[in-house]
Amino acid sequence: MDKPLLELSNVSFTYPGAEHPVLLEVSFTLQQGDFVAVIGSNGSGKSTLCKCFNGLIPHYYTGDFEGELKLLGESAEGKRVSELSRHIGYVYQDFENQLVRPTVLDDVCFTPLNYGLADYRERGLRALELTGLSGLGREFIWQLSGGQKHLLALAGALAMDPDILVIDEPVAQLDPQHARQIYDILRRLNEQHGKTIVVIEHHAEFIAEYCRSVVLMDGGRLRWQKPVREALTSVEELLALGIYPPDVTRAALLLRPDRQAAGEYPLSCEEGRAWFGRRADAVSAADSDSAANGRTLAAASAAASPGTGSYAAMEAAVSRAAAEPIVRMEQIRLSYRTIHKTLQPVLGGINLELYAGERVALIGNNGAGKSSLMKLIAGITAPTGGTVQVKGITVNGLPPERLSGMVSYVFQNPEDMFIDDSVRGEIAYYLKARKLADMDERVEELLQSFRLLELAERDARLLSGGQQRRVSLAIGAAVRPAVMLLDEPTANLDISTKQEMTRVLEALRGHVETVVIATHDMALVAEWATRIIVMSEGRIIADGDKETVFSDGQLLRRAGLAETQLMEMSRLLNLPQICSSLEEFTAMAEWRKGELIYGGSC
Amino acid sequence: MVEAVKRALNKISVEHIKLELLGTAYNSSSTFLGRLDPRMLLIWYLFFAITPWFIYNRTILLGMFVFMVVTTILSKVSPYIVFILCLGLVSQIGWMFLLSLFFGGGAESLLPMLTLTLKLSVISLASITVFSSLDPERLSDGLSALGVPDAFAFSLSYGYRILPTLLEEFHQILLSFRLRGQRPEKHGFLYLRTAAYYLRILVLVFYPLMLNTAKRSRTTVEALETRGYTYAVNNPKVKKLRLSYLAMQRRDWLFVAFTVVYIGLLFPLGAAVPNLLY
Repeated sequence: MDKPLLELSNVSFTYPGAEHPVLLEVSFTLQQGDFVAVIGSNGSGKSTLCKCFNGLIPHYYTGDFEGELKLLGESAEGKRVSELSRHIGYVYQDFENQLVRPTVLDDVCFTPLNYGLADYRERGLRALELTGLSGLGREFIWQLSGGQKHLLALAGALAMDPDILVIDEPVAQLDPQHARQIYDILRRLNEQHGKTIVVIEHHAEFIAEYCRSVVLMDGGRLRWQKPVREALTSVEELLALGIYPPDVTRAALLLRPDRQAAGEYPLSCEEGRAWFGRRADAVSAADSDSAANGRTLAAASAAASPGTGSYAAMEAAVSRAAAEPIVRMEQIRLSYRTIHKTLQPVLGGINLELYAGERVALIGNNGAGKSSLMKLIAGITAPTGGTVQVKGITVNGLPPERLSGMVSYVFQNPEDMFIDDSVRGEIAYYLKARKLADMDERVEELLQSFRLLELAERDARLLSGGQQRRVSLAIGAAVRPAVMLLDEPTANLDISTKQEMTRVLEALRGHVETVVIATHDMALVAEWATRIIVMSEGRIIADGDKETVFSDGQLLRRAGLAETQLMEMSRLLNLPQICSSLEEFTAMAEWRKGELIYGGSC
Repeated sequence: MVEAVKRALNKISVEHIKLELLGTAYNSSSTFLGRLDPRMLLIWYLFFAITPWFIYNRTILLGMFVFMVVTTILSKVSPYIVFILCLGLVSQIGWMFLLSLFFGGGAESLLPMLTLTLKLSVISLASITVFSSLDPERLSDGLSALGVPDAFAFSLSYGYRILPTLLEEFHQILLSFRLRGQRPEKHGFLYLRTAAYYLRILVLVFYPLMLNTAKRSRTTVEALETRGYTYAVNNPKVKKLRLSYLAMQRRDWLFVAFTVVYIGLLFPLGAAVPNLLY
C-alpha cells in the first residue's frame, strides 16, 4: 500500500490560447493498490488530471506544461503516450468511441497486439473472463448492449495487464444493476488482482461503497486528498461546490449539524440503520389529513411536495374515469429482425392507457423495452401486432410528419435532434415548417422558460450536457404535443444538473398534456412522477402510483432497479411512508446514535 | 402501381438496409470461399478482373462466366446484390441497343454487345464473389499482407466497424427532420413534390451527421493513441504477428489448382470451338 505508483509534482497545464490554466500546481501521489475517486464540479480539471497520467497531456494535447510526472519511480519525461499507456489503461466516458474493431475478441486483443505481445489472444481471453464477457468473443460490437460495451472497453484496457486503470464516469450511462456490476468488477480487480484504480465519479453512493480515498478538484487545483469517510462527511464543503454526498449523509447533516467536524456521519444505509431511528410521532403525510393528531403534522405535510400523496392519485383516478385516454395501446407486440435473420421479440401483449395531466415514469433496466414502447407511441416504429391510438387516431405505420403535432419524442442523445445551426433555429424549425403566425412569440417564450435566451444564437452541439438537454426539451415543447416522450433525460448528467432537470421538467407544464419519461433514475421518479409503470423483459409488471410501486422492494429488484437510499432507509426504519425527499425523511426520522434508544422500530 | 411502389418503399427501411449491408459484409466466414486465404483470393480476383478485357474468344468468356456463376452461388451472395447487378447489365445493354437502333442498326447489333456484357459479367461476378467472401477484416489483412499501407488497411476495417453507428445516427437525424418537418400536403404531379421533400432532407441529414462524427472521432483518435496504435504502425514486428494467422492450406491449393486446370483447358477448347453458342 505504501509504494507510490505515480507521482505528479507541481503540475500546471494551460491549453494553447486559453487564459486560465486547467491545472494549477497539482501535486498528487497514487499509492499502489489504492481505489481513488476524483470528484469536482464541471470544468474543475478532473479529466485533465487523469489525462496527465498517460501523457496525453502534454504529448497529445500540447500546451504550457510545467511540473513533473513519475511513473513507477521513473521520470516520464521524453516518454511517449504509447509507452506510458502500457502501464495505464484508460476507459473513456464515451467508451463506444474507443471500440475500434468489429468483433469483441478482435477489440479486446487490439491493444496487446499493437504492442506486439505474442500471447495477445490469451490476454484478450483472460480480460474477457475478468469482465464476465467470456463467450461473447465472436459477437459484433454493435450487437452488444450499452453495459456490455462498457465492460468491453474495460476489458480492452485490462488486456495489457496495466498497473493503473483510469475510468472516466463508469456508470453514467448504465442502469443501477449494471452500474453495480461494473463496480463489483472494479473492486475485484482492486482487491484480488492488485490493480490501482482511479475513477472520475459523480455518484457519492458508489464512492462511499467502493472507493478508498477521494481527490477533490476545484478550479484546476487539487484541494485535498482524503480517506473516503473523511471526504464525504465534509458535507457542507462539498455541497458548496455542487457535489452531492450520499443522501443518508446529507440527512445526517440536517438532523445533527454539530457532528460534521467529527466526521461521524453514516455513508450507507447499513450505517444509517444503526444511526437513525423512526421519530416516535412520525405520521405519513397521507394519513395526516384524515387524523389530526401530533405536532409534526405541519412539518410533514409541508415537506411533502405537491402532487405526491394519495389525494393526487385519487384525483387522477377521478379524471381518468371521466376523460378519454390520450394514448391507448391494445395487445401490442413488437419484434425486430436481427442480422441472423431471426426475429427478436421486444414487446409482448402490452395494454396501456395514458391520460391527460399524468406524469408517467416508465422504469425498467436497459433492454426492458422502454424505448421501444415510446417509439410505438411516437409512430417511429410500427407494431408487429395490435393497435396504438393517440387522441383517437390510429398511428400504426403513419408517417411521423402526420403525427408530429400530437406527439414529440426527445431522444436520449440530444445531438441526434440538432439539425439547425443555432438554438433558436432548432426550436423554430417545426414552427417554420408549418409557417405558424405566432412563431416568433412562441420561440421567445420557449427560450425564456427553458432559460436559453443567452444561448439562443449558439450552436447546440457545442453546449454542455445540461444545456443540450434543455434545448432538446424546448425543441420537443415547441410542437405543443399532447404527449411528450423523453428517453433517459438525466443520463450522462452530473448530479447537480440532474437536480436541475426536475425544475426544467416543470417548465413543460402548459406546453404539454401528458409527459412520459423512460428512465432508471429513481430519484427523478420519486420526485417527479405521478404514475409509475414498471417494465421487465418486454412486459408491464406493475403500474400504479409511487406508494404502491415503491413499497414493494422486491418489485424494483425484479425489474433490475435499485431503490434510492432514502427509499431504502424509509423501509429499514419502518417509516409510515416511503420518503422521496430529504425534507420528508428528516421530518420522520431522527438521530439516535449514542443517545437513548426508543423502543419500537427496527 | 402507386400502391405497389409504396409497399416496396415501406420495406426498404434504414434498418433493413443496415442489416442487408452488414449481412453481406460479415456473414461470409460460413461459406467455402469465405474460409480461403485472403491473399490468394485477392490475386485470384486480379486475374479475373483483368484478363477478360483481353479475351475476345466467346467460348473462353462463356467458360469463365459459368465458373463465376458457380463461385457466386458458392459465396451465397444476397439476392439484392445480384438483382442490382442484373439491373445494371440489362439497362446497360438496353441503352446501347436503343442507340444502335437510332443509328440504323438492327437486331444483329445485339450479338457484339453480348460479348461486352459477358466480359462485364465475369468481372462483376468475380468482384461480388471475392468481396462478399472476404469480410472487411480479412480483406484488410489480405491487402496489408500484399503490401498496401497499414493505415489504409486499418481505415478500411474501421470504416466497416463504424458503419452501423453512422447508419444508426443517420436514421435518428432523418427522424428528427421528419418529426419536426412538414411533408407537402399534396403529393403533386407524379409524386414529385413528395419526392423532392424526401430528397432534400436526405441531403440535409449529412450536415449534422458530419459534425457529430467529427466530434466523436476526437475520442477515437485519442483512444487509438492510448491503445498503442501508433506504436504498432511504426513496428514491422507487430504486422508480422498480426498477419501470422494467414496461411495457405490444402483447400487453398486445391482451389488454385482447380482454377488453373479449368482455365488451362478452356483456352484449347476456345481455340478448337470458337463459336460454341453463337
